Amino acid sequence: MPMPMPGQFFMVGLPGRLDPLLKRPFGLFRHGDGLLSFMYRVRGKGTLIMSGLVPGDPVEILGPLGNHYPLPEGKYRKRKPLLVAGGTGVASLLPLLRELKKNSIFVYGGRNRDELLCIDEVRGLAGEFIAATQDGSEGVRGTAVDVVTDLIRGRDKDGLLLYACGPAGMLKLLQGLGLQGYCAMEENMACGTGVCLGCAVRTSNGYKRACTEGPVFDINEVVFERL
Amino acid sequence: MSGSELNLSVNIGQKLSLKNPVMTASGTCGYGAEVARFYDPARLGALVLKGISLAPWPGNPCPRITETACGMINSIGLQNVGLKAFIKEKLPVAKSLGSPIIANILGGSVREYVKIARALEEAGVDAIELNVSCPNVKKGGIAFGLDIKSFTKLIKAVRKDISGPAIIVKLSPGAQPIEAFARAAQEEGADAVSLINTVPAMAIDADSRRPLIQNIVGGLSGPAIKPIALWLVYKTSKAVTIPVIGIGGIRTGRDAIEFILAGASAVQVGTASFVDPAAPVRVLEGIEGYMREKGIKDISALVGGLVTGCS
Repeated sequence: MPMPMPGQFFMVGLPGRLDPLLKRPFGLFRHGDGLLSFMYRVRGKGTLIMSGLVPGDPVEILGPLGNHYPLPEGKYRKRKPLLVAGGTGVASLLPLLRELKKNSIFVYGGRNRDELLCIDEVRGLAGEFIAATQDGSEGVRGTAVDVVTDLIRGRDKDGLLLYACGPAGMLKLLQGLGLQGYCAMEENMACGTGVCLGCAVRTSNGYKRACTEGPVFDINEVVFERL
Repeated sequence: MSGSELNLSVNIGQKLSLKNPVMTASGTCGYGAEVARFYDPARLGALVLKGISLAPWPGNPCPRITETACGMINSIGLQNVGLKAFIKEKLPVAKSLGSPIIANILGGSVREYVKIARALEEAGVDAIELNVSCPNVKKGGIAFGLDIKSFTKLIKAVRKDISGPAIIVKLSPGAQPIEAFARAAQEEGADAVSLINTVPAMAIDADSRRPLIQNIVGGLSGPAIKPIALWLVYKTSKAVTIPVIGIGGIRTGRDAIEFILAGASAVQVGTASFVDPAAPVRVLEGIEGYMREKGIKDISALVGGLVTGCS
């Protein structure tokens, strides 16, 4: 297996089942010592079954798939990475943070403190860390977008490079702030390998596949059509 | 495990000879190159490529797919690169993969179908599958698949102009009665019929009260439709003498054997390739395993071999 890069994903499935039938995409959360880790929220039939698996139970995986977050290189090499996670979007950004370490600002938003998984690891790794919760139970009261809006006020936008993962509504608002950078997109996926064309992401250059041309896109290229 | 002592070859009319009965279904193997990293496409009977229209089509907005019990609904909307780019960029690569190439085509008018078919004959494909059953595009497609008059006219026109590649007509499960459509295809000179295309279907999220497919309706595929497909393949194969290619929820060798017993000469593997990219090869190996286990040397001995009546 090639070494997975931050932002890449795996298709994970339950062997021998017809329902659920399809594998599901999960961003890689951690790897090492022959172990791949994924973070997920129980949302449907598949994740519910997954949550009942015990060590030794088989799963089927396919990957690593898709592109990855580009590190700040070339014309962006002097920019400060600004990582913005909404909810479980943290799972995709943590592997990137583990590479960037102190050379980073990390903004982590969620509804409440319980939703901010892995907050201690993020806090410990990031150069600068700001949490935001809608109920004020952790960090500032408000959204991750509110925090970023404050943060860039009085700062040179061209000194930052955005890496964002979270709900589409958050990504769209971030796009409106006029930063350069990237976002990881989620879309319903059947195959993960580029053949079903289910995971189309609308961009200024036409539809692109989240599984193949993505999941990481230039945030200013994405057309958020369903919002 | 080699199938060399077994004879799996099938003929699709006079024009197309396949070394085994397993093909990909259109829209599940891209333009061929996409699956070459998972298996050697030369092992398959044929590759049926993603449907091609005259002009490039952008496809439908998302969500385009949703999973349902034992299946999925898609409304991709035939996103494709268009005839010109297909011939220039995709077809040469597909042809280099060592498997016969079947182009799946779709038009908004008889003239468009003929134009695409002619260009593909010139570009050199082994067969053309006429898609007259896509539920996901407003213009064309299913309009020809459900109306016997325009269906007949279309096949007559394409047949008149095309002499090289075999012509396969992909039937809709909604064609009523399907035997009449298959017979019309045969009378107009089609080399084979393939069935079924996806079944028009919808899914709803009770919480948001919204359809789970942006287009509201999409096509249901996967194991959920296999019993429907088996019945239609069975009925159709009784009505025609041209080969019937079975499609619908095939994911194992045994599934394929069931279609062959129902009367199919060959099969296409579709949705199963989304679950396991190498599914067509596994289906082929499963067929070989079944033949060995039952001591069957020639696959043709199984075609239409359903046992009915009292035992």
